[in-house]
Amino acid sequence: MTLKSLMISSALSAMLLAPGAVLARDLTVAIQNNLTGLDPTNVNDTLSQTSLRLVYQGLFGFDKDMKLIPLLAESYESNKEATEFTIKLRSGVTFHDGTPFNAEAVKINIDRLRNPDNNLSRRSLVSMVNEVQVVDDLTVKLLLDAPFGAMIASLAHPGAMMISPAALEKHGSEIGRNPVGTGAFTFTRWSADTLEVARNDNYWKEPAKVDNIIIRSVPESGARMAMLQTGEAQFVPNFPPELMKVVEANPNLKVETSPSIVEWYVALNNNKEPFGNKLVRQALNHAVDKDAFCQVVFSGLCTPADSIIPKGLAFHVPVGEYEFDLDRARELMAEAGYEDGFSTEVWANSNTESLRAVQFLQQQLAQINVDVNVVPLEAGVAAQRIWSIESPEDAEVQMYYGGWSSSTGDADWGIRPLLLGENVPPSMFNVAYYADKELDAAINGAIGTADPSERAAFYETAQKLAWEGAPWIFLGVTDLIAAQTSDVTGVHMLADRGFLLEDAAFTE
Amino acid sequence: MLSFLIKRLLGTIPVVLMVMIAVFAFVHLLPGDPARLVAGPEATAQDVAAVRTALGLDRPLPQQFLTYVGNTLQGDFGTSLRTRRPVVDEIGMRLMPTVWLTLFAMVWAVALGLLIGVVSAVRRGRWQDYGGMILAVSGISFPPFWLGLLLINLFSVRLGWLPTGGYGTWQHFLMPSFTLGLGVAAVMARFTRSAFIEIAREDYVRTARAKGVPERRVIWRHSLRNALIPIITMVGLQFGFLLGGSIVIEAVFAWPGVGRLLVDSVSYRDYPVIQALVLMFSIQFILINLLVDVLYVLANPEIRYQ
Repeated sequence: MTLKSLMISSALSAMLLAPGAVLARDLTVAIQNNLTGLDPTNVNDTLSQTSLRLVYQGLFGFDKDMKLIPLLAESYESNKEATEFTIKLRSGVTFHDGTPFNAEAVKINIDRLRNPDNNLSRRSLVSMVNEVQVVDDLTVKLLLDAPFGAMIASLAHPGAMMISPAALEKHGSEIGRNPVGTGAFTFTRWSADTLEVARNDNYWKEPAKVDNIIIRSVPESGARMAMLQTGEAQFVPNFPPELMKVVEANPNLKVETSPSIVEWYVALNNNKEPFGNKLVRQALNHAVDKDAFCQVVFSGLCTPADSIIPKGLAFHVPVGEYEFDLDRARELMAEAGYEDGFSTEVWANSNTESLRAVQFLQQQLAQINVDVNVVPLEAGVAAQRIWSIESPEDAEVQMYYGGWSSSTGDADWGIRPLLLGENVPPSMFNVAYYADKELDAAINGAIGTADPSERAAFYETAQKLAWEGAPWIFLGVTDLIAAQTSDVTGVHMLADRGFLLEDAAFTE
Repeated sequence: MLSFLIKRLLGTIPVVLMVMIAVFAFVHLLPGDPARLVAGPEATAQDVAAVRTALGLDRPLPQQFLTYVGNTLQGDFGTSLRTRRPVVDEIGMRLMPTVWLTLFAMVWAVALGLLIGVVSAVRRGRWQDYGGMILAVSGISFPPFWLGLLLINLFSVRLGWLPTGGYGTWQHFLMPSFTLGLGVAAVMARFTRSAFIEIAREDYVRTARAKGVPERRVIWRHSLRNALIPIITMVGLQFGFLLGGSIVIEAVFAWPGVGRLLVDSVSYRDYPVIQALVLMFSIQFILINLLVDVLYVLANPEIRYQ
């Protein structure tokens, strides 16, 4: 290499390394895991779903406070039984490939998702739809085979976002690598660890203020932190609490916390003694100090639960508190005939945080002579031993520590899959094997109507009944932490651990 | 030599077949239902069943195995269960980053390792020797993630000279390849030192010195050449290991390599990707061993293969 070429190459590399004046219009987001796919109807992790909101939109969606808003729909009406939903669509919207968005496109999308032959993993969002009618170019009517009051919330789920019919036709099963939607950004490329999207200048709303958004997977939290410090990334959602102090000390960075819709609990298998006894279940709830739980497990970034669903979900009502009271717990145990306690085991995912949580519970419950053995389960093993068992009698689980986030933002998906009597594994997630006729009636009642005030009344009843029945040890609702550089505005975390980037802008 | 190569290559076929059987049996014996994992935490039984059918996991195991062997022989490695991209693409995207990183790491390892090893051996018992061996022991004992984060903090955050991570320009290679190479360099240094010390006792070294061959030539030509055989063996082995990807380095430097792909695939029970990766790793090892055998001949013309 001659001296001259050496000088040129070092000059070039200096340009490449110059802190990003030229690149300032691109927003880089550093996330922990890799995305798993780009077909919204066929991905299941929050990161992929939320990233796809840049390219795709649904008929309905969420604002930054996780409140349901119409997106590609303008309005809807339903009959009282919640079996017919008529949806008015926004006019003048086109997909990125120029295909017009209209009632026909909606029909193609919903028919594709609900068709069992397509084997799409989000099919259950619309499986209750019996027929999609095109009323006119901008009106569709969904006819359901049974009442389903949470229909609109289901349509707001990212799994029901609208894909260009022409692209579906063109790419077939390859649509998961060639996304074409109506969103504020168009797809550029997806490599091993990076998704890149570019501003859609023909967006039906005001076009985005950044040129490109780059979503990069950086597994190590210290490295994500370093990227923020060097300006290589501007936004890091799901930031680790232990690094908060470093961010707060840096004037160029800021960190924001907000409540999530993730509630943590210990499900008690009601088919196993002594968890079939309500007094025991209530005693366990009184024996755990929830404030201490939040401190110990989540460094205080957590609020004790006040209902079976977190505050951020529609129709949540604060129903009570099992105050930390060991005397009351011992009294209830004695009343149930367990003054000498009992031995049991708790299953939890084998990550540091979950293990810290169950070890804390182990120590708390020891105070009322309940001897808890901690069993960590790797994800695949958990899938097999908890969720894939054939019948309730085969279930070996006694206590299970886990969290739930209702990604439709609605009470329905926060309660029904977890506590309706018939929804036991493997069909759904009632791992408490809780079966309470009154509760079932309230949950089903809420599904049977589309009237918000009636749904609210049913869900209030459901929350009160389930709280009193204590199928779980109610623990806490965690906070979300996001870190960003101070020169960026309009980036938000959503309560379901996703994020909204559409309004991102640089201030300088 | 040629007939030796052909024989060795033919000999790999049964090994590869055995690897295929073993890895297929192994992944299917792992507890955990991939359909459940792929369908995600919110999937209903109906969704899981749909995924299972879509992935072909509802077919009998022997049938799945025959399909797997048949397709593999035709070069079709299937589709990732997790991302639904072809396995060839999944691995293809990450193979070259891993290969390049391994090569650069080996450059560090060989350069630093040989230098420190030779200097330590030649200056045996003196401060250069102690210094070199202290470096080597530290190199082995430094946790790479910690060293990696230290380097990031120094060169990216404080000095702003290098990008924190990712795969791209040559600057992106410096820190990860150094971090990865350092551990190997340390092993190399110790290896080189002991090989050298042994050779220094040989008659031909004494003869060379007695003949008045300059010391530099004695070291780099007479001794090093003869010490090369164990060193080549070691380099070959380490090279094979590093080609399997390093989960720690890839995590710290956000490197899109095969190590992380393997870990992700195992936790998702992504059978086709696991099978293809393990198969690839074993073929790489076989080829590297073959290459090492060939290099022996180049290093020492006395070695002959029939």
